[in-house]
Amino acid sequence: MDILSIIFIVAGLFFLIVAAIGVIRLPDVFSRSHAVSLTDSLGAFLMLIGIAWHEGLGTNMLKILVVLALLYILNPGITHATVRAALRSGLKPWKKENS
Amino acid sequence: MATRTRPISSEFLFLKAMALFVVWVLLSASFAWIHLGLGFICSFAVAWINSGHSPFVPKFRLWLRILLYLPWLFYKIVQSSLQLTKLILHPALPIAPQLISVETKLRHHAAVVLLGNSITLTPGTITAEVDRNKLIIHAMDKTLAEDITSKQIESKIADIFKDEEPDL
Amino acid sequence: MKIFLFCVLVLLAILIGAYLYRVLRGPTVFDRVLGLNGISTKAIILLIVIGVYFERVDMFVDISTGYALLNLVGALAVAKYLEEKGHS
Repeated sequence: MDILSIIFIVAGLFFLIVAAIGVIRLPDVFSRSHAVSLTDSLGAFLMLIGIAWHEGLGTNMLKILVVLALLYILNPGITHATVRAALRSGLKPWKKENS
Repeated sequence: MATRTRPISSEFLFLKAMALFVVWVLLSASFAWIHLGLGFICSFAVAWINSGHSPFVPKFRLWLRILLYLPWLFYKIVQSSLQLTKLILHPALPIAPQLISVETKLRHHAAVVLLGNSITLTPGTITAEVDRNKLIIHAMDKTLAEDITSKQIESKIADIFKDEEPDL
Repeated sequence: MKIFLFCVLVLLAILIGAYLYRVLRGPTVFDRVLGLNGISTKAIILLIVIGVYFERVDMFVDISTGYALLNLVGALAVAKYLEEKGHS
C-alpha cells in the first residue's frame, strides 16, 4: 500500500473523528448539522481519494470518484432539507446569552 | 397520458438521456451489446417520461466556467474546515451561532441554486431558507459569517453567469 | 496493510456508535434525523473500505452508490413530512 494513500486516509479519519466529537458536544440542531457537513465535505473526500489512489487507474477508481461526486451533490440537499424543516417548525437557534 | 404544460425540448431530452446512459455504463461496467442496448432504451424512456421539468439547458461554456470555479470552492472548503475544526476542538467551545439574511443580486435560477449549494458545502455556513433571491443563512462564527456578507462567492458566481439571460 | 485497514474499519464502527448516541439521546426529532444522515455517510465509506479489505471493490462500490441514492430519497421524505407536521 502506498504511503500517500495511508496519509490521505489518516487525515480523513481525523476529520471524521472531529465531526463525531462535534456531533456529541455542540448544543443544538443547527450547529450539529455544521459538524455533519464537515464530515461530508472534507472527511469523506480525503478518505475516498486515498482509497481511489490505492486502487490505481481503472474502473474501480472511476466508480469511487462517482460515489464522491454523488456525495458532494446530494449531501448539501439533505442537510438543507433537515435544517429548513427544523427552522419552519419553529425551533429557535441556540444563543450564547441565554445559556 | 397526462397532458404536458411545456413543450419538450429535444436538446434537453438528449442531454438528460446521455447523462443517464453514462451512469448506466458506469454501474454495469460491461460492454456487451445487449446491455448497452437495454441501457440506451431505458435511459431514453426515463428521460422522456420526466421531460418538461427544466427549461434551462446549460451551455458548454457554462460547464467549463463551473469546472474552473470548483478548485477555488475547494480552497474555501479547506479554509473554513480548519476554522470549524479549531472551534470544535477548543476546550471552551467559543461558538457564536447566528442567523443572517442575505439578498443576492443574481437573476438566475441556476445561479441561486449554485450559490446555495456552495454555501451549504462550505462547513460552518448552511442555507436554511431560499425565497427567490433572499437567503437565510445559519453561520457558526463571526469570521465564518463574514465570508458570506463580504459576498466573495456571489461575485464569483455572478462572473460565471454574466452572459446568460436573466429568468428570475 | 490488512491490519491498517482493519483498524480503520474498527474506528469507523466506533464513530457510528458516537452518532448512534445522538440518535438515541437527541432532544428533538431533527437531531435523530441528522444522526441517521451522518450514520449513512459513514456506512457508505465503511462499505468501500470493506470492499478494499476483502479485495472485491467492484461489487461493494455499487452497493454504496445505491445506498447513497436511497439515502437521499429517504432523508428528503422524512424532512418533508416533519416540515408539515412540526416538532412535537
